[in-house]
Amino acid sequence: MTKAPRDVVLKGVEKRFGDVTAVDAVDLEVRAGELLVLVGPSGCGKSTLLRLIAGLEEATAGEVWIGGRAVDDVAPGDRDVAMVFQSYALYPHMTVARNLGFGLRVRGVGRDEVAEQVGRAAEVLGLGELLDRRPGQLSGGQQQRVALGRAMVRDPGVFLFDEPLSNLDAGLRLRTRDEIAALHRRLGTTMIFVTHDQVEALSLGQRVAVMDRGRIQQVGTPREIYRRPGNLFVAGFVGSPPINQLPLARDRQDRLAGGPFVFPGESPHPTATLAVRPEDLTITTTSSPTPTHPHGTSEPPPGTPTHPPAYTRIPPDPTALPPAPPRTPPDPPPFPATVLRVESLGAEQRLHLDGPAGAAWIARTSPAHPVTAGDPVQVSVAWDRTHLFGPDGRRTGTAPTPAATSDHA
Amino acid sequence: MRGGDGGGRGAGRGRGSGPSPGALRAAATAATALGLALILGVAAGTVSHGRHDNATHVARMAAALWELPAGGDAAVTAFLEGRATIGPDEKAGPGAHAYRAGTLEPAAWIAVAPEEPGPGWPLIPTTLALLGLSLMSAWAFARRRFPPPSRYPTLPALPATLLLAATAVASTSWAHRALGDLSAGRAVHGTRAIEVALAHGADPGHAPRVAGLPWATTEGLASPDELWTLPREVAEAVAAAPPSAPAYTVTVGGATYHVARTAFPTPTSPAPPIPQDPTATEPDAANPANHLHLVLLGYEDTRSPAIPLAAAAAAPALATILLLFLLPLSARPRALRRTLTAWGFLSPAAALLLLFTFGPLLFSLWISLHEWHLVDPVHPFTGLANYGALLLDGEWWSAIRNTAVFTLHVPFAMAVALGLALLTRRSRRAVRWARLALFLPGITSVVAIAVVWKWLLDDGYGLVNRALEGVGLGSVAWLTSPDTALVTLMAISVWMVVGYQMVVFQAGLAAIPRDWYDAARVDGAGPLQRFRHITLPGLRHTLFFVLVTSVIGSFQVFGLVYVMTEGGPLGSTDVAVYHIYREAWEFLRVGNAAAMSWVLFAVVFVATWLHFRLLERRWAHA
Repeated sequence: MTKAPRDVVLKGVEKRFGDVTAVDAVDLEVRAGELLVLVGPSGCGKSTLLRLIAGLEEATAGEVWIGGRAVDDVAPGDRDVAMVFQSYALYPHMTVARNLGFGLRVRGVGRDEVAEQVGRAAEVLGLGELLDRRPGQLSGGQQQRVALGRAMVRDPGVFLFDEPLSNLDAGLRLRTRDEIAALHRRLGTTMIFVTHDQVEALSLGQRVAVMDRGRIQQVGTPREIYRRPGNLFVAGFVGSPPINQLPLARDRQDRLAGGPFVFPGESPHPTATLAVRPEDLTITTTSSPTPTHPHGTSEPPPGTPTHPPAYTRIPPDPTALPPAPPRTPPDPPPFPATVLRVESLGAEQRLHLDGPAGAAWIARTSPAHPVTAGDPVQVSVAWDRTHLFGPDGRRTGTAPTPAATSDHA
Repeated sequence: MRGGDGGGRGAGRGRGSGPSPGALRAAATAATALGLALILGVAAGTVSHGRHDNATHVARMAAALWELPAGGDAAVTAFLEGRATIGPDEKAGPGAHAYRAGTLEPAAWIAVAPEEPGPGWPLIPTTLALLGLSLMSAWAFARRRFPPPSRYPTLPALPATLLLAATAVASTSWAHRALGDLSAGRAVHGTRAIEVALAHGADPGHAPRVAGLPWATTEGLASPDELWTLPREVAEAVAAAPPSAPAYTVTVGGATYHVARTAFPTPTSPAPPIPQDPTATEPDAANPANHLHLVLLGYEDTRSPAIPLAAAAAAPALATILLLFLLPLSARPRALRRTLTAWGFLSPAAALLLLFTFGPLLFSLWISLHEWHLVDPVHPFTGLANYGALLLDGEWWSAIRNTAVFTLHVPFAMAVALGLALLTRRSRRAVRWARLALFLPGITSVVAIAVVWKWLLDDGYGLVNRALEGVGLGSVAWLTSPDTALVTLMAISVWMVVGYQMVVFQAGLAAIPRDWYDAARVDGAGPLQRFRHITLPGLRHTLFFVLVTSVIGSFQVFGLVYVMTEGGPLGSTDVAVYHIYREAWEFLRVGNAAAMSWVLFAVVFVATWLHFRLLERRWAHA
């Protein structure tokens, strides 16, 4: 397991099944030794893309390069890739040992070497005692390990994972996720991992490629994907609970406006969408005697209404970014909302709000300050926590040009 | 249960449902009593029927004499002697049985014979049954007082079963004896009727038929029309008896033959006076060469009451056992109700299965243990003689060998079908057309297919040979040469079964997950390796199913052979089922045929068992 990892390059790869375009002109570069996660809703073409890389499907157009070699005419077995399937696809009539060694045996590798490689993989994955069993006699987690081992024995340049965790129960899924990450650290091999679970994608991937409708929407580190979603789809797909959205439209002064949010200056777009992560909402309630303001400073920032006086600022969810230093352009004014429902999840609480202009918004807050359904609250957002997407869904910027306080008052 | 019957009933009522043990015990006693009555009734009824039958027989003999071409009146008068009357159509009196002569002129003439007196009711078995029943009742009453020590007192079924069996055996013996007497009487009447017919100038070749009984002449002891022959032992016994011997019986192989014997001058000799006492008949014993000796057989085993009596005993015995088994369950009403409900649902299917599957099966086994000829009313029990004879029967083993060779078409057909299934795997349209084209022979009548192929393969005008000659190749004797006929049938059989097998293989292939193929491709397996490591193992259950069902079907081939070759030429296509068919329906030796069927069953069973043993165990691990 000392082979150099290989890179994978897709150049304008396209796959059509009759009238259906499953993969639409995808350009993607997977660096050697990288763990890249392909994530997207079901039917977005991510599995097809993986099968194109494996050679199980033939591209309608475009090229696939693996390790600096165009492999479009190379059989799957000769592409130096190994694949782990969602169903594990273990051969049911073979023992675990024969399953592990199958890829070597069909290549004519000698019996002793096969046994040695199988033994090494079994040791790494803790399969030693299972070697003489058949897949039907194994639990789901054990089968998953065998599937992993079958890929490892081949010592491939690229590992391909097609939703390998989706048939496991929640606890096992977390553990196996860690094991795959550890395996990647140990082997240093290129890995492409397909999943529909955005949490899995963010937790596992060094880089994440978000796909929708056959196209790659954004490629980036998990942090980039989450903090600077490139378009409205990525913003909405990544994150749980989903990002809060508010449609904006041009007002009489050609400013984009919606609810309390008014973007100063003339807008080039007739409409747009504002999005705010749930943990970036600051909630203030009246239930506590000591008022605090959104950013934790002793003085309320300009534009913060002083009435009603007895508000408590609930610290936002601990995962939220630390508050930015106060800015000269005033943030949008807080708006009143009613808590419709409270989800207490232990580490956090989620407040379902009737948001601005009737939009259903969710706020993530610290559970240290319990809120009950029906409470009136004040919600405030800093401009630099908002995302703005144009009518085509593309990101157009975050903070607006500072607007006069009087506009909001 | 303590406190006797009242306590038991109280407990039953307390739980709200289910009969009390006392009620069940009473029902079991009632079922036993009913069974005893049934057995006795069947025995008495069988004998009564035999007496009616005998009277009808005598009447028929009289009517047959009336139809003699000449001297019918005198013959009837001579025969009747008060045993029967003949006259215009009148209501037969009580206890008399009429027979209308079919070709009689005028048609209204009718012969009436009285029933002979005989034992009307089985007295000893009845006494036995009543005694046993009262003992059982007393015992049941005692059991009520003293509750059973065990929770599962299934032992009570034993005395009831024993009583039923003993009564059945006693009744059978009684009925057997009574029916034997009747058979002997019939043989005597028969000889008389023949004597009368011959004395009145009837053709000796046909006149004895007025007796309506199997008969033989002493010349070779075979019937003149050679429809049946006497068993050797009977023939020897008859030959050894003096010509003047009166009626006597010979018992061979479980069958009792009642022999009545007469000797008559051949038609060239002058007719002797009609004897008054048939058993004393010995006309001109000094010169037996001038006489035709007749042996007439009354028979009783075909009217043996054993089977109906066994059936009559079995039903109530089963009911009694069932009831007594339910007895312990009555302490748990819900379990009882569940059991009764389950049997309620099972019983129609179970009854059909018993009647139409196990019944015929056991009957064929029964037949195979007898020398059973379809026109011979006597079926002597011969044990395993039929099977023993089969071991040395070269033609039978030749048929088995032909069947085995024929079965070799199965692996070939499977290979073709699997190939076709793989070829049509990718294209849906091809699948549909291939299915349609190849499945048609499988759903067409075998006879239609056989007729068409016979025509196509005809030596002279068959299209196939015409085509071969047309392209300059010689014609082939497809069905008329011992070298080719079986192979031709095998080829046609392949053509017939390939469609069905292909459809099954297609279904099997569709059930193999695509992921296995994908994984194998990524693992670097080529098409042959994928076939070897994925397709074949994935199809192993399908292959096994097709192999076993096809081999069994091939052992049962009949239609093709029957229509196309009739086992020929020179027996080269004489397969087992066809051989059995000929044995039973051409040679009428159903005893032999039944034995052959069981041997064939054993062969198929062993073949299937070997399949399971050698293949399924190896393939079964998934």
